[in-house]
This record gives sequence, structure tokens and C-alpha cells, in this order.
Amino acid sequence: MQRRTLIKAAVAAAFTPALAACGSDDKAAAGSQITSWDWLVSQADWMDQEIKLFQAAHGGNTVKKTTQVTDKYPDLFALAARSGTAPDVFQIARTPTLQEQVSSGWLLPLDKWANESWKSKFGPGWFGEGGNTFGGKTYSAPFTGAGSNLQLYCHHGLFKQAGLVNADGTPQLPKTWDDVTRAAEAITNKTGGKSFGLGFGNSQGGALAWLTEIFTRGAGAVGGTNNLDYRVGKWTYSTDRNYADFIGLLLDWKRRGFIFPTAMSASDEQARAFFAQGKFGMIVNGVWSQAAWKESKFTDYSLVTLPSPTATPQGYFYYGQGSSARMFGISAKTANPDAAFAWLDWLYSKEAGQRWVKAGLGLSAYPENNDPSLVDFAPFAQYVATSTTNLPGPDPTLRNPELAKVKVDAVKPDINDVLAGLYTSQLKDVAGALSELDGRLNKAQEDGVAAAAKAGAKVSMADFVFADWDPRKPYAVKPA
Amino acid sequence: MNVRRESLAGRMWAARWSYAYALPMMALLLVFIVYPIAASLGYTLYKWNGIGDPSQYVGLDNFRRIIGDSIFWGAVKHTFLYVAIVVPVQLFLALGLALVLNQKKLKFASFYRTVFFLPVVTSAAVVGVVIQLLFSNFGDVINNLLLDLHLIGGYIDWLGDPRFAMGIIIVVGIWHTLGYNLIYFLAGLQTIPEELYEAARLDGAGRVAMFRYVTVPMLRSVGVVILLLALVGSFQVFDMVQVLTNGGPFFATEVVNTYIYHLAFGGTGDVDPDVGLASAASFFYGILLIALSVVQVLVIRSLARRRAAK
Repeated sequence: MQRRTLIKAAVAAAFTPALAACGSDDKAAAGSQITSWDWLVSQADWMDQEIKLFQAAHGGNTVKKTTQVTDKYPDLFALAARSGTAPDVFQIARTPTLQEQVSSGWLLPLDKWANESWKSKFGPGWFGEGGNTFGGKTYSAPFTGAGSNLQLYCHHGLFKQAGLVNADGTPQLPKTWDDVTRAAEAITNKTGGKSFGLGFGNSQGGALAWLTEIFTRGAGAVGGTNNLDYRVGKWTYSTDRNYADFIGLLLDWKRRGFIFPTAMSASDEQARAFFAQGKFGMIVNGVWSQAAWKESKFTDYSLVTLPSPTATPQGYFYYGQGSSARMFGISAKTANPDAAFAWLDWLYSKEAGQRWVKAGLGLSAYPENNDPSLVDFAPFAQYVATSTTNLPGPDPTLRNPELAKVKVDAVKPDINDVLAGLYTSQLKDVAGALSELDGRLNKAQEDGVAAAAKAGAKVSMADFVFADWDPRKPYAVKPA
Repeated sequence: MNVRRESLAGRMWAARWSYAYALPMMALLLVFIVYPIAASLGYTLYKWNGIGDPSQYVGLDNFRRIIGDSIFWGAVKHTFLYVAIVVPVQLFLALGLALVLNQKKLKFASFYRTVFFLPVVTSAAVVGVVIQLLFSNFGDVINNLLLDLHLIGGYIDWLGDPRFAMGIIIVVGIWHTLGYNLIYFLAGLQTIPEELYEAARLDGAGRVAMFRYVTVPMLRSVGVVILLLALVGSFQVFDMVQVLTNGGPFFATEVVNTYIYHLAFGGTGDVDPDVGLASAASFFYGILLIALSVVQVLVIRSLARRRAAK
């Protein structure tokens, strides 16, 4: 670079912010660079496309996206927020709780822009204290619709190779626990040891819980691996026999050699690639994996959800509107709040949601976007069809917003650890391990409630009990 | 003759430039070592997730929780197991290789030194990722090969099976930092005057006698430093474990540093970090190591006294 050019560039760089600051707010917003963080790895193409469309529609505004590693996102975001360098717009980290993030002053209230008219486009019931609203101020909005949280993916090639086909030549997809066992056995035996019935990647710690979640929910364990059983307001790993039954089945699959041998040390990303390569015939995963498989040209698979001991699931996935009603937020420290909201508003638009669905990434918060007939890609259309397996369920915080003040400590070992211990035979006594886990979880729950009550919150353990809940039907939370 | 003794202040003033040169290092030490240690001592008394200022005072409860946590004691056990195997094996191999590479007649000695030192300059995280990929991507290939050779009776998940995961970490740990000790020993060997070997040879000493009566005594002082550095390095094991197994499966490879890291940064899943508890674990472990060091020093002194008395 010539010295004169260098000087010109330096002068321009030095004066540009000052000149920009002299303009009006709107002009400043129109020429702003917005930083945006997410952990949408599999959905990166969609996000990049949205950035291009947004930039084209908002001449001068640019978005600088950073996609962080999923499991490190909460740490990285917390560090950025604490050091005052949080991005303008960000996917809201799962930890600490949104309540704590708001209390720490990390998020900007959206009320300046998110008025009643803006909120009404999402439909009723999505904005409430404890979900995305704290102290009467709104900090986020719903983005995704409720579909089946997890699915059992079946590899067509291996199913056909193992003779698991219907009369019309389509793969014989498993519906029950016995079906899965038979399919796993057939795939393992008929591929001559080259492929296995089932696989997963547990190195990050969560895959065994996914397996347990999808199989036990179908059996009627309505808390799955994430929630207490709201019928009784307690964790029921040891008292609901479905958990021990499934763990017994899982260990039997392992003993009989149906499970991919390096499943405990493979990562979830590796496991998904192994599934696509035909190293095993079934994997439990989420809809996000479809985008990565599509990108690698692997589309020869189907999905089912909630395999159960009987052909009809006895339990479903449940969503509480409070916890589903948030996805993106704006930093309280943003220098360009108007431009940041413009980008956030774009992400929350009906059109962006429609492109999200069409790209096969998930369901939209706008119900009209979730039309299977609009979806070209067959596996994703199957996913859209499973949306009937996710019902509105009890949401304690919606019934008593004071529960947002309850902070329940995580326990160690947790369900992920206990399942890993049982799978690797470091824990021998299934019933004992589950009973101890229940003890830890229920004590942590009671301690959290007691601490909040001591600090003045009007809460009790009874707030978690929904005795009138029939898990086979949609549940409407009644005010306390 | 009366020599007038200078006061301390006078001597310090005379050496003022030495102190001035040491000042930047002292400042860095204070900011990055002393202050964090002092600050984290305060955190041990709080339950704090690292956000905002610590406000929930819990007294010594964090220490009580650490002492009563079987996962912590498991991590201590794994750390000591790692140290107990890595340090002697690595030092033995490093000394042996250094003796070979110190041979003047050995051709391509520089090449071999580079080969053995290369893993040291490769980041532990990179090594860990490569090894993890190797075992995960080709685990079935390795298994099939070993099955065909009838060396194993069934498939093994090398990094996912508690019977093998720690062993793999130890082997990789030995290989990864072997080069450091090799270079230290090589440097130590090259400081031994050739005349001593010539004299020993004239006295009729063979190779074994020269090693025992010349090399070992001459390496003793540098050997103590190498041992100390190897011990310190091994007790600090973290990145290799974090990348290879993340302390799993079910804490089978959890070492104290990964345990502290998981407490401080939340570990897997949606677990909230607990900086107070992590600080308490860190302090307690530090105290444990100091206590062990004191015992070690006392034992060595006692042995030395007994030897001197004989």
C-alpha cells in the first residue's frame, strides 16, 4: 500500500465514527454494523441467507455473525456480557436463567418497539411473566413452534439390507420397543458385523439421556429426562418403572452387541456422520440434524418418534409457553438499539419463520407456517407430521410467576452421569442409582423453593403439582 | 580491620537497578498470580455463579461439600494415579533416550531429537483432538484388526470404557511431554566433563559402572529439578483429559483440574457454574499438595539423617 493511501485510510477510519455520530438516530442506525451471536451450527445457511436478505432490505446496515460452539456458548456469552462486550443481538444462553441474565442487566427491554400490536402477531399466550417478561418488561419473543423434541431416525439402506421392508418396499419403521429390538438385531446380524442396530455419540454427555427421553416418554413417563412429573410435582426416576425398564432394555441391547461400540466416546456430530455412512441403523436425534445430513447429500432415511411398549404412546412431549417463548435478545450495552431491533425483528418475521420451516430446520412460532404440504423434503414433512406429539402441558411459572424467583441447584451426578455410569457398568444397581438421583433432585427442588420462600417469594412445592393433568390431552394452565 | 556494614536500605539503593529490572515481573506476578489467589480465597466463602458480585455467604460450607464429595476424591485418586505412572515411566524413558542420543557416534542425532521433541511443541488440545478422532472414527477398524488377531475378545470403546480410558490418557501423556525431559536430561549429560569418563575408563570401569558412579551422581542435581518439573507438570494435567474424555465416562478419568473446571464453568448440560465451590476445591487441593510436600520433605530429611548417622 502506498504511504498516501495508508494515511487516507487512517484518516477515514478515524473520522468515520465521528461523522456518523453527527447524523440523526435513524441515519446512524441505517449505517450500523450489528454483531450477532448464535449457536446455530446446522442452521448456519439459513442464518447467512437471512443476513443477506436483511442487509439488502436495510441498506447500509450490516450484520457480523459469530456462531459459537454449542456447549461453550453459555460460558462465552457470560464472559462477553460481564466484560461489556456482548454482541448487539444474540441467541439467549440456556444458563444462567433468563431471570438472572435480566437481573444482571445483560438484556435490553424490547418494549420501546415490541408494543401490543407487535406481540399480537405471535398469537395469544406467548408473552408472560417468568417466560420472556420480567418486572413487566419484555425481553424476548417466541421463535420456534412446538414439534416432537427428539426423533428416532432409521437408515433406509440398512433396514432394506436387513430385510426390514413392508410389502410395498418401504422400510418397516419401528413403533414399539420390541420393534426397535427386532430391527437392531436384524441389522446387526444381517450385515455380518459391519453395521450395528443403534448408535449414539455420548462424549458430550447428553445422548444417553436423549435415548431415555424418547423411549420413556412414549411409555408414559411424562417428565422425560428434563422435568419433574407434574402430576405429583416430583422427580420420579425411581418410582416410575418405565425408566428402569428402558435402562434394562438398553443394557440388553449393549450386551447383545446391537449398539455401535464407540458410542460412548464419539461426539454427537461424529455419530450423525456414522449414521449417514451406514455404521448403524438407528439414532435418536433432533430435527436440527436433518440440515447437516442434507448438506452431505444423505437423505435416505425416515423418522418416528415416541416408540413405546405398546403401539400407542402413553405420554408425549409437552411445552410450557413460558419457557418456549424466547430465542433472541438484545444486549443492554448495544450502541445501536434501533438497528439491533431491526435485525431482531427480521429474525422474528413471519417470512423468516417460513424460510426456517422450508429449509427443514424446525417449526415456526407462526402456526400457518407449519404446513407439511409446503415442505418439499420428505423427512422434514415427516417431522412436521409429528407436531401432534407435542402438547401444551403444565407450566408452573405461568400459573405462579413468583416461581421465577426459585433457583434450583443442579445436582451432580445428574441423569446424564447416572446413565453413563449404568451403561459402562460403573454403577451396577439401577434401582439404587435412580433412587439416589431422585433424592438429590427432589432435595434440590425443595431447597430452592424453601430459599425463595425465605426471601419473601410466595411459592411452595404445591405450585409444581397439577393433579388434574391428563397427559394424553392438551392442558390449559388455569390461573392460581 | 573494621568493616562498616551497610544498612539494608543502603544495600537496596545500591542495587536499585536490579530491583527496577525485576519490577515488571513483580507487577505481573502480583496482578496475575497473587491477586487471583487472594481473590479466590474470598470466593471460597460464597455460593457464586460468577455473575455480578458474590453475595450469598456460605462460610466454610463449600469446603465441607468438597471434602464430602466422592467425585472430588475420585478425581484426586485419578490425578495421583496419573502422576504415579507418568512421572517414573517418562523419566526412565527420557533418561534412556538421552543416553542413546548423547552418543557421539550416533548418526542423525539431531533428527531423532527433533522427532522426540515434536509432540512437545504441538498443543495438547490438538493432540487430544487428533487422538480422539482416531479412536472414534477408526475405533471399529482398530477393534476389527485386534479381533482378527485374537488379541481381544470383543469390541472395546477405548475412550468410552472406564477400564481403558485412563490408560490411553496416561500413554498419550507420557508420549506428549517426553521430549521436555529428554532435552533436560540431554542438557544435563552434556555438562558432565568428558575427563571424568576418561578417568573412570582408566580405572577400568565398564559402561554400567560409569553410569552408576559418574553419570548418576553428576545428574543428581539436574535430575531433582527434572523430577520436580515433571511432578508439577503431571499434577497440572488438564487439557489432554478435557479434550479426550471430558473426565468421563461417569468421572472415570476426572482429574482435579477438570473437576475444578467443571465446577467453575458448569460442565456439560445446563449445569450452572459455581465459582465459590471451584475456588474451595482449588484451595483444598493446594493445601493437600502442600501437606504432602511437607511430609515428603520430612521423610527425605529423616532418611538423609539416618544415612549420615551410618
